[in-house]
Amino acid sequence: MADQNKPESADNFFNEILSPCELFAARSRSHKIPARGQKDFYPDDSEEQKQRLQQRLDEHWSLISEERVERLGNLVKAVWSPSERIVELQTPAGKFWQTMGFSAEGKQFLLPEEALYLMECGNLQVFHQDLPLSIQDGYEAFLSSDSVSLQQYQVFGHLKRLGYVVHRFDPSSEPSPYARQLNLPRSRDRGGRQLKRKRSPSPAPTSSKTAAASQAEEMEEEDKLPESHLVASAAPQTSSSGAAGEVQARTWWPAEVPERQAGQRSAPGSQRWDFSSICFPDLGSAGRLAPLDASLLPGGVTPGVCDVAPWMRRINLRKVKMSPKEEERERRQRRRDVNKDKEVQRCRNWAEYHKLLERRQAKRQGRPAHLWSGEVQPLHDPTRPISTAELLEKISVIKSTDLLEGAARLKGSEEWRICFNVYQPDSVADFKKSNPGKPYARMCVCSFDGPVPDLRVIKQLSFQSGDVPVVYAAVDHGDISFYTFKDFQLPRDIYP
Amino acid sequence: MAAEGVEKTSEDASSSGKVCTRFDLEKETELRFEVEAGEAADQVEMELLTGMAEVFGSELNRNKKYTFGPGSKIAVFTWQGCSVNLYGKPEVAYVSKDTPMLLYLNTHAALEQMRKQAERENERGPRVMVVGPTDVGKSTVCRMLLSYAVRVGRRPTLVELDVGQSGVSVPGTVSALCIERPADVEEGFSVQAPLVYHFGSTTPGTNIKLYNKLTSCLAEVFSQRCEVNRKASVGGCIINTCGWVKGSGYQALVHCASTFQVDVVLVLDHERLYNELKRDLPHFVRVVLLPKSGGVVERSKECRRETRDEKIREYFYGFRGLSFFPFSFEVRFSDVRIYKIGAPSIPDSCLPLGMSQDDTQLKLVPVTPGRDLTYHMLSVSSVDDGDEDARKSIVESPVCGFIVVTNVDTQAQVMKVLSPAPRPLPRHTLLIMDIRFMDMK
Repeated sequence: MADQNKPESADNFFNEILSPCELFAARSRSHKIPARGQKDFYPDDSEEQKQRLQQRLDEHWSLISEERVERLGNLVKAVWSPSERIVELQTPAGKFWQTMGFSAEGKQFLLPEEALYLMECGNLQVFHQDLPLSIQDGYEAFLSSDSVSLQQYQVFGHLKRLGYVVHRFDPSSEPSPYARQLNLPRSRDRGGRQLKRKRSPSPAPTSSKTAAASQAEEMEEEDKLPESHLVASAAPQTSSSGAAGEVQARTWWPAEVPERQAGQRSAPGSQRWDFSSICFPDLGSAGRLAPLDASLLPGGVTPGVCDVAPWMRRINLRKVKMSPKEEERERRQRRRDVNKDKEVQRCRNWAEYHKLLERRQAKRQGRPAHLWSGEVQPLHDPTRPISTAELLEKISVIKSTDLLEGAARLKGSEEWRICFNVYQPDSVADFKKSNPGKPYARMCVCSFDGPVPDLRVIKQLSFQSGDVPVVYAAVDHGDISFYTFKDFQLPRDIYP
Repeated sequence: MAAEGVEKTSEDASSSGKVCTRFDLEKETELRFEVEAGEAADQVEMELLTGMAEVFGSELNRNKKYTFGPGSKIAVFTWQGCSVNLYGKPEVAYVSKDTPMLLYLNTHAALEQMRKQAERENERGPRVMVVGPTDVGKSTVCRMLLSYAVRVGRRPTLVELDVGQSGVSVPGTVSALCIERPADVEEGFSVQAPLVYHFGSTTPGTNIKLYNKLTSCLAEVFSQRCEVNRKASVGGCIINTCGWVKGSGYQALVHCASTFQVDVVLVLDHERLYNELKRDLPHFVRVVLLPKSGGVVERSKECRRETRDEKIREYFYGFRGLSFFPFSFEVRFSDVRIYKIGAPSIPDSCLPLGMSQDDTQLKLVPVTPGRDLTYHMLSVSSVDDGDEDARKSIVESPVCGFIVVTNVDTQAQVMKVLSPAPRPLPRHTLLIMDIRFMDMK
């Protein structure tokens, strides 16, 4: 069959109009690529297989090189305008209009990738300078790094052929996280714009700024504006309220401040009495008492000199009666004089002494003080009881994270962006371009040669996408694989 | 101690029909007399005729008759010499030269030196703890030091930790009182707006954890007051403690010294305690051993109980039962919630894991009102139990007053209470005390 067709197509390559018999042959031709199983390609190094494989390859080539035949009347005519990178329809659109294209100023337009796809499907004939473009021309003219790249088109075409509805993703049509948080209904204004499916920004990076892209950026900025306004207006508010609070605090407690300072200065036990100059009549340590200064005494009191010595003989020296139990305890805790301790001797007041005791207490309880004095401290104080689950939570150095955690703060990257909204095939019947609804997924196109998206990108894109999953389409020279990154919870065995 | 050099000059019947005894005192001597205890005993009146004299630090007015009721034990001290008339028949009356007043005055002078320094350096004043076994005159020494301090223009604070014989409020409480004038010769310090915490028993041993907790509370409040009131801060405080100086009682003393961050500890007449405290308190705390006065008499158990009773009566009826008129009204059980602090102790092995005994000692246990409530004193807590937090704070909150249950009617579910204020009760949370009071007089 393939052998038959080959010379014919070669001969008539430039023939625009076909003869009836040729047409008949074209119609009766089978368009199916013969299906082959994997076993057929399993190499067994035999000449026979080699031949068979070669034959299959030839069949394949002849099939795809075969000229396709369409009725001129079925083709929708369109004109390519390279300056705007857009295709304008000249004749009424076909069925594809339900899911593709947009109208503006009373005209119908197709985006280049849509036009190319329709050309490939044999629904569209695009003219440029009154000459029809071949599909190859289309590939060359329509696809470029600053509108739709080849890889993006490959993903687009692949999904279209599978029946999905694929639209360019427009970041500005996405409600801002703030609006999402408030659960605002889509604004009328936005809906209106949606109706006329405005020229969406090209999904390619905007390194060289096309008009559309810059426009889109403006839109994005516009979209951000309310938020930035919010932030801007909030900031002075907080600062002013902070200042007001300070002022208030000052006016409220004017007298308190010096008092406080005084209180702090006289912080408990921060002074040290000089007991060598302040002499108590202590019977325990005999010392001569100085004559009293009259200014220290109440009026009218004129004492003589006090002699401690005669009293010392009269002090109660009798043994304390103690029960055997008490004596036992006494013996056990035959405590040393606390003041023999060097560290205690260094303490000058109660505050320091309490600190020392605290430190020692801590040491006794099995938390070495030196571990706790530095900036880096142990994760858990062993003296403090805690449930197993809480402890596990505390010692899990690598915290599990939510995909959306902290994503709001990330800035978008140039390299990675969502390209397409994808709607499910079964929605095509009642699909409305003006109100497409929530996409089934969003596509981010990346090359198989390129880097794997990192966590930052994944976070940022999934945050941008909201509750619609982001699918990464990795293109490997025409083969497309789809990947998604999903949140998951590590299993937990401990339940309190 | 023998009364040496007594000068008993005259003894004749006075105009009031009472026996009048005149005493002429030399300088730095004191006249000690005791009034007979008991219902039937007569009061004794005292009048300063010439010179100057003081009773426990408070000066006497000349030619004013002071009345002392049964059981009073008074010492009239003079720095310059004076003559005093006693009317009535005291149980004992003698003049003693042998008094440690000079030592106490020297102690005051040292404390005053500290206050001066505190004032100069904008620091806090001395915090003094007075310790010693029972019946050595701790409360009297406190009273003297406070009176002297007030007389030189200070505003010290009395912290009363003696739950058995409280000088400020009813027994079974710990309290703090700001002293603004010398003690009245007859009545003692005027009790105005004291800070009182419920302890519930007359000995700290019944719930030592609670005792220590309340000590900490008082220390905390006192420190706060010192921060805002410069005068109170400079004045410092004088802490009167219990006479229990062994075992847990001793530990409670050390704890008190630590929480109040005391600067000076005055040990009265107990060398062993002095040595122990010197050993267990850090070196910057001055521990001073002082003798007790020869005039201090030992009080019997009955005597202590009577004083307690008298103190409670004074709370309801005023000094000598003359000035106040308490109210008696009925309170429905449903209107109040009665608690006891401290659950009975359980062996550690029966406790839930990780819980220690002190948790139970500070726990509020609801008491179902019944006949055994009769004659019990109840503290009216200043906090109402709402949620769990409030209930926890009840233990650590001061009380606003006390009532005594005089009768319980389980049928009608009401109890009759004696209250210093008319109905209704200001709060509905009542804490029960071990102390009972029978309104008999």
